[in-house]
Amino acid sequence: MDFDFNEQQNMLKTMARDFLVKECTKARVRELEADRKGYDPAMWEKMVELGWLGLIFPEQYNGTGADYLDLVVLMEEMGRNVTPGPFFSTVALCSIPILKFGTGPQKAKYLTPIADGKSIWSLALTERSGRFEAGDIAASAEYDGKNYVINGEKWFVPFAHVADHMLVLCRTQKAASAEGGLTLFALKTGSRGVKIELIPTIAGDGQCRVRFKNVKAGRSDIIGKKGDGWKVISYMAQRATVLKCAEISGACQAVLEMTQAYAKERIQFDKPIGSFMAIQHKLVDMLTDVEGLQYLVYYAAWMLSAGMKADLCVSQAKAKANDVYQRTCIEGIKIHGAIGFTMDHDIGCYFRRVKSSEFTLGDSDLHLEKIAAGIGL
Amino acid sequence: MDFKFGQKEQKLREDVRTFARRELSGRRVISGMEEESRDEDWEFTMQISKKLSQNGWLTMAWPKEYGGQDASHFEQHVYIDEASYWGIPGTTMGVSGIGWVGQSLMLFGSEEQRKKYIPSIAAGEPDGVWCTAYSEPNAGSDFANIQTKAIKNGDEYILNGQKIWTSCAHRARWCWIAVRTDPGAKKKQHGISLLILDMRSPGITIRPIVNYAGVHIFNELFFDNVKVPAANLVGTENRGWYHLMQSLAFERHSIAPQFCGIARRTLEHIVKNAREIRYNGAALAHNPVVRHKLAERALEIDTLKMFGYEITWKMSKGIIPIYEAARNKAYCDFVMQRLAVTGTEMIGAYSQVDMWSKWAKIMGNITRLYMMFPGIAIAGGTDEVQKNIVGQFKLGLPRAY
Repeated sequence: MDFDFNEQQNMLKTMARDFLVKECTKARVRELEADRKGYDPAMWEKMVELGWLGLIFPEQYNGTGADYLDLVVLMEEMGRNVTPGPFFSTVALCSIPILKFGTGPQKAKYLTPIADGKSIWSLALTERSGRFEAGDIAASAEYDGKNYVINGEKWFVPFAHVADHMLVLCRTQKAASAEGGLTLFALKTGSRGVKIELIPTIAGDGQCRVRFKNVKAGRSDIIGKKGDGWKVISYMAQRATVLKCAEISGACQAVLEMTQAYAKERIQFDKPIGSFMAIQHKLVDMLTDVEGLQYLVYYAAWMLSAGMKADLCVSQAKAKANDVYQRTCIEGIKIHGAIGFTMDHDIGCYFRRVKSSEFTLGDSDLHLEKIAAGIGL
Repeated sequence: MDFKFGQKEQKLREDVRTFARRELSGRRVISGMEEESRDEDWEFTMQISKKLSQNGWLTMAWPKEYGGQDASHFEQHVYIDEASYWGIPGTTMGVSGIGWVGQSLMLFGSEEQRKKYIPSIAAGEPDGVWCTAYSEPNAGSDFANIQTKAIKNGDEYILNGQKIWTSCAHRARWCWIAVRTDPGAKKKQHGISLLILDMRSPGITIRPIVNYAGVHIFNELFFDNVKVPAANLVGTENRGWYHLMQSLAFERHSIAPQFCGIARRTLEHIVKNAREIRYNGAALAHNPVVRHKLAERALEIDTLKMFGYEITWKMSKGIIPIYEAARNKAYCDFVMQRLAVTGTEMIGAYSQVDMWSKWAKIMGNITRLYMMFPGIAIAGGTDEVQKNIVGQFKLGLPRAY
């Protein structure tokens, strides 16, 4: 048993922290929230140079060949600092399924440009329900003898407005279960019949509504097998969920640290407010939340990287992350008092991202249901 | 990063499982310190302690020269977790001897004390059963406020005063006691010493305190000019407070694996019950509210599991877990409270049936846990005291009291 990162992971962690603190200040985060693009192309270029985009790709696709756990370490740091942009959608939501289920030519065609910083990806999965359920997928792709013809509407599609490609989950055939008959397509966002609109969100984090009207896709655009779309999504979802949890975990650590520091310096009644037991015990509860989340995330990440059945611990990590992120921010803001309620304060940058994180790849209700099934109910 | 146990630990887990199945088949699980209450339970408990000793498990963490196995922290973790899961009684023998007296004597006891007291603990004998007398009527969370005096008179101390909440005093051969040896000390933390008290000494009165569930764990102790040989002083006179801080750390580190084991078993019983019983025309397990509640409990138990792993791993690297142990104690109490309350909701009106009744659900274990958890939460330091420790040692916040 070992809770430590290895030397390479520690180096990556330090490098990421130094880079992000310098390049991605909270003032810049606030500017990007107001910017239509929602990310900084110059910063993106530097992240490409650091090898982050192709971190887990094999060298043949211009990747670094690093481990999934290394990516977890990086995501934790990105979350700690709040790093706006399409990194999660490009790497976690789209590259992971292509790496696993893509054909040789698909990988060469799609992954190399991602590693080189020439391609941004988005995942068009969620529909009007706004939830992560196979039964809610209604977008269709009908085969006309030559092409698949896609019709439908996707919601909360991350960074579709700046992406050049996207993965789209569609219903291709009738099946006995909601999970059956789904197929995942890789498409250019500029394809004829694709209409992308930016949804104004509280974090200004580039989520879109995407409508498809008779959009053509070829057989060679299918990622995985026809009808196996939910299997591909489920594989991706486990790994991407834990990456999202790592990001949340990093964010919670930052919120706790800034609140702890504030409680030590803010004087009321001639004493630091952190000397009052009511405040201390709140901070201790926050610490217990944050450390518990951190370890559940590491555990799930390790289970996945060791190739073990991880359904239960992935859902535990996400249910915990949703709960802890929200509570840590709310308690943190309350300990800060009115100053925490201002646009100028950094804590709001974290709070504005709670809902986006919570509903990415399953809310707590969905994951608690999976846990219930996992413990034999 | 790696979260698996080695083959040695896996084998140990199997062996403990086999032992539990053989020795406990068909018996009710007596958890917490309830085994101290009824004579027949205590007799069975001591038989098991002897067998645990013969298997080399009872004090496995101790060095071989003191009757231990030099077992790794990971082996101890697995043993405690698995033994608690099965509810093997006798693993603690009244808690004190195995929990902290042995290790404390190895750290700051005299060679003579080590030779005299440690072997009978390691052997799982009635002579190795200890109680611990810290709390007094006016020294609970404010433990340094103890007033029981031991005044030196030649080669003995004369003990006068009163202790309370002394678990196992009615079963113990020896008592590990904190007393005031210098009533004139300027700070209340100074002037405290640790003594070994022979429970057969004249002048000791033991008055049972039966808890609200009808279980006899606690006692009140009264001392009327009790003579304690000066050789029974442990460590340095008037430095007892500092010895105690080390002893208390021994108490807290095994809390997570211990209660994780109990909680896992309890949750499994609740899940099995939910699948079997019908509610409003369907199995209780189909009710979405029930599913969510139990999923949350499972999540909490696994969080506690990770906290337990963390402490064991840190100890294996030679780190003394101070704030971590306090955090785990507070979190553990939270987890057990939620589990106990949810458990009663799952068995409904049957939760009020006496735990020994033939009509009790799940062998009375839910009711037992429900009735015992508030006491377990207070024992070893309240939630507030634990959180003060975390606030001070981990978060670096100024002392609030």
